[in-house]
Amino acid sequence: MSLVNEFTKGIIRENPLFVLVLGTCPALAITTSVNNGLGMGAAFTAVLLASNIVISALRKVIPDSIRIPSYIVIVAAFVTMIDLIMHAYTPALYKALGIYIPLIVVNCIILGRAEAFANKNGVGASIMDALGMGVGYTLALVVMSGIREILGAGTFFGIPVLGASASPALIMILPPGGFIAFGCILALMNKLQQKAS
Amino acid sequence: MRNIIKLGVFLLVVAGLAGLGIAYVNGLTEPIIAGQLLESKLSSFKEVYADADEIKDETDTYLKGADPVIAEINVAYKNGAPAGVIYTVATAGYGGPVQSLVGFDIESQQTTAVKVISQTETPGLGAKAVENSFSDGFKNKDAARPVEIVKKEPVQGNQVLAITAATITSKAVADGVNAARENFMSNFVK
Repeated sequence: MSLVNEFTKGIIRENPLFVLVLGTCPALAITTSVNNGLGMGAAFTAVLLASNIVISALRKVIPDSIRIPSYIVIVAAFVTMIDLIMHAYTPALYKALGIYIPLIVVNCIILGRAEAFANKNGVGASIMDALGMGVGYTLALVVMSGIREILGAGTFFGIPVLGASASPALIMILPPGGFIAFGCILALMNKLQQKAS
Repeated sequence: MRNIIKLGVFLLVVAGLAGLGIAYVNGLTEPIIAGQLLESKLSSFKEVYADADEIKDETDTYLKGADPVIAEINVAYKNGAPAGVIYTVATAGYGGPVQSLVGFDIESQQTTAVKVISQTETPGLGAKAVENSFSDGFKNKDAARPVEIVKKEPVQGNQVLAITAATITSKAVADGVNAARENFMSNFVK
């Protein structure tokens, strides 16, 4: 597979959220506004990129029998750094995302990419894979939070779009709305994929 | 056996390097985070009591023992004399603790403003407590009377309109204000 292919596969064909259905916990919880979705996507991409680079570079050094604990330590270290950096430079976003930043450690996409890709491929391919998966996950979060924010709060990026007369369906930014939006998007993705194949 | 030691040492090295990396980033960000927390604290103090030259933490003077609700008492000084008091209170809301700042003016014996600074209430419902439309209701309340949450348009001076469908959150904020009010009445009103 070419490097470009490694990048593009994460965006639609193997989209981590809508096709691989990984990392759904933060996706359901934080997608109440586009701002949160974008911030979470960016933090996630940074961690995935850093961990993919380190893990692919060390793939011949890390003993096979303890690779999972090694990956966890590496990922946890990067997440803690991102957590500190976000606390220092983007306090509003840090507050909005709350516990979901430290929880990136156990985000199964990151461990999944380490296990399925970075420990079998070189640094270059792993960078492209991380960027593709990161952009794909971010796009998915933005799509989902966009739908939920417009329907549930009547705003997009905090800017009112529905007009004062329309009353937004509050349920869409509450937890049930997350499941409703997620289910509808998954159904649509399946329909499109069936058509394509 | 030798293999176990080898693996253990490897993990030790990985964890040690990770620790070094985190320590480095922590060293870079720690002063920024501390500065920012202080700044946001001072700016939210300004929001509940604007007219102050200096704000001093005098929790130990005015709070006897531990209080379940009041966390901090800051006194705002104007021209060297105490002019206002800012209480940091935390009460139980619907989704967890609701932390708010309550400001009082010593001369008029009224609240100046209330600001919810941290909450985990339901988005779109209780989370509206941070909005001015709710907290403005607590402005200029007579400190001698307990504030009361009402679901219809307030008719009396000590009443505050609840957030629609978030009575528990509204009451949590009011509880905090009342706890601060009692302390204010006993310490700052002669």
